[in-house]
Amino acid sequence: MDASPLNQPPPDDPPQGGLDRRRLLALGGSLLAAGAATSLLGACSVTGATKAGSLGDPDRAAITVWSWQGPAAAMKALVPAFEAQHPGIDVTVQDIGNPAIWDKITTAMAAGGQGLADVLHIGVDYLPAYTEKFPDGLADLGPLGADRYRDAFADGMWQTVTRKGKVNALPWEANSAGFYYRADLFEAAGVDGEALVTWDDAIDAGKKIKKKTGVHLLGIDKPASQPDAANFFQMLLQLQGTFYFDAEGRITLGSPEAVTAMTLIKEMNDAGLVSDLAGGWTALENSIKSGTAAVLPWPTWFGSIIEGLVPKESGKWKVRLPPAVKPGGTTAATVNSTHLAVAGSSMHQAAAWAFVEYVLTRPASQEAIYRTEGIAPALLQAYEAPVFHEPSKFFSGQHKGEIFLNALKARSPAVNYSADYARALKTVDDAQTQVLLKGADPARALHNAADQLARQTGRELAS
Amino acid sequence: MTTTTTPDSILKAAGAARPAAAPRPTARILRRQAVPYLFVLPALVLLAVFKLYPIGSSFLMSLYENVNGTQKFVGAGNYTRAMDDPLLWTALKNTAIILVVQVPVMLALAVGIAVALNSTLLRGRAFFRLGFFLPTVTGLVAYGIIFAVLLNTQYGLVNWLLGLVGIGEVPWLTDPLWARISLGLALTWHYTGYNAVIFLARLQSLPAELYDAAAVDGASAWQSFRHVTLPGLRPALLLTTVLSTIGTLQLFDEPYVLTGGGPDNATLTIGVYLYQNAFKYFDFGYASAVAYILTVLIGILGIVQFRLLGEKS
Repeated sequence: MDASPLNQPPPDDPPQGGLDRRRLLALGGSLLAAGAATSLLGACSVTGATKAGSLGDPDRAAITVWSWQGPAAAMKALVPAFEAQHPGIDVTVQDIGNPAIWDKITTAMAAGGQGLADVLHIGVDYLPAYTEKFPDGLADLGPLGADRYRDAFADGMWQTVTRKGKVNALPWEANSAGFYYRADLFEAAGVDGEALVTWDDAIDAGKKIKKKTGVHLLGIDKPASQPDAANFFQMLLQLQGTFYFDAEGRITLGSPEAVTAMTLIKEMNDAGLVSDLAGGWTALENSIKSGTAAVLPWPTWFGSIIEGLVPKESGKWKVRLPPAVKPGGTTAATVNSTHLAVAGSSMHQAAAWAFVEYVLTRPASQEAIYRTEGIAPALLQAYEAPVFHEPSKFFSGQHKGEIFLNALKARSPAVNYSADYARALKTVDDAQTQVLLKGADPARALHNAADQLARQTGRELAS
Repeated sequence: MTTTTTPDSILKAAGAARPAAAPRPTARILRRQAVPYLFVLPALVLLAVFKLYPIGSSFLMSLYENVNGTQKFVGAGNYTRAMDDPLLWTALKNTAIILVVQVPVMLALAVGIAVALNSTLLRGRAFFRLGFFLPTVTGLVAYGIIFAVLLNTQYGLVNWLLGLVGIGEVPWLTDPLWARISLGLALTWHYTGYNAVIFLARLQSLPAELYDAAAVDGASAWQSFRHVTLPGLRPALLLTTVLSTIGTLQLFDEPYVLTGGGPDNATLTIGVYLYQNAFKYFDFGYASAVAYILTVLIGILGIVQFRLLGEKS
């Protein structure tokens, strides 16, 4: 974007006379510069027309896969075995990085699928927006053979990847809400981590831990320097069976459940139990390395991250499902999932599907991925492998795989992310920042957020 | 690329100038008249393809809305929606604050630096000029990232240095007010030298006789600055004010890298908001409308500034 004055015409010394013409020229130049702002958008033609792809030769093709970090590495490791089985298919896995991958997919989709990879790794937070705004952006996997896997995945997953009868993707990872905690700190404060029933209990425990050890209960990115700053709030909502939107797509940000969740967060913050994770991922890593929080309320995939960051703390950590929000409430929630899709513009859809099928529907593939990257599969059959039932040395001998498998098997209400999830998340982030940094009233901040979201999206507020 | 054909046409046109190849006088004159147009053609074609076409196309886009994947004509719908959008008004307010606070401070600093650099008393002028100008050639994103690292609350160098002299942690990027101050500091660091160079160029063209005359009249240093230097700088002041205004209204890189527009939209600029709408929310129609509102604003402010600051003679 041409925001810099550097891009303006060089400043030469205006002569005494003839200023009027110069001025006119300069003004014209400034208007042109202003136009540059608009040209950024015009560069993508958003006519909705997606370049039509084709099935291509199922046995001979060169395909590209877009993913990020751990999952990209996991797929790269599977490529040699896949290519041995399909000698005519050449697979290139590219690690685009997260969140960079979303910008890259979005711009390519907006350009009618130009430059898109054949296989795309897409998170649940982006899938509905892509399928709604770019209906032809992803290929229908049904005719390619996806329908036979309808019952192969964890409960609720199939609804997530299908829309109006079209199969947009296949589920890969299914992450349940988790509660990783430093058992040694809990012990030092005389608290039994396994005995916490509700988040109110957790707050009481947090106060004792803070008093004894000086360590915070948990951390939140208070100024919302990254969009996922509201992860914890979102989990507290899902533990109450609600979300930002209801099944009909109405806004539920002002619901009593949302207010309860935000009030809990405010209570923790006011008691000095919340450390600030401003700065996103790096800040989170630093916080774990320096041990500033006793609890990491993160989902399934996060366990292997902790192991990788602080291997020396093996045996000091434990894991369980999060406490309920209300006594007797649920402790199981599928908080996110990711999926592999085939681009609608791909000229090698059949070969791309073959790779997707190889990675996601073979238990052996998923077992290998779990072993190296700790990514929990949505594919239920994969859990028959012993690796999911082995005790974890790092997590004090607990059966981490089984803990999360139980959560996955518990019925978790379907969550409607809708095409406006990114916008909703932003308003929630802002509301949380108002509560945490400016001491705003949770109910008021959330009602304002709901109103603003309704105005921006034209959606109704759920009464 | 269409422009690759141009060298041939130029060669042909140049060939026409040879006496032996000249068939008829009228054709020769016509061709000769065509030469300058052929020379500007490549630039015009590039301008049309990469600027005029997108500008026109984004206007069309601003009249449409994506409803379930199909483009629906909504006329002025996106524009009326903008009038009622609190976040757009927040972005405008933030921009106004930068315009009213940061730009005058930066320009005043630049004038001071230019006068100092122009002084015959200063030794090693080339060194200082280079020093003040260097930030300008630093890549926008690169310096944004460096500032983000320096200003990190817990691990940043700035807070570490402040800690050495007993000042507690300053939430540079994580508190709404401090984030605005940090953004202003970064902008000032980056653009002051650039403006100082413009002023310096102007100062060097001011005739020494004026200062001599002022000295003869018994003017003090301040008086000759006030009555000779400042009026002499007027055209440069106009130029820098207009350029800074446009730059501020289009501000994107710095807030995007430093704060992402946060916390709680305290550093949200129109550029960042436009980007969010287009590439985060897939709302290209609305983003185009915001871009056009921005263009109109820049036009209006430009005209006002030319009226207010333009030569009165």
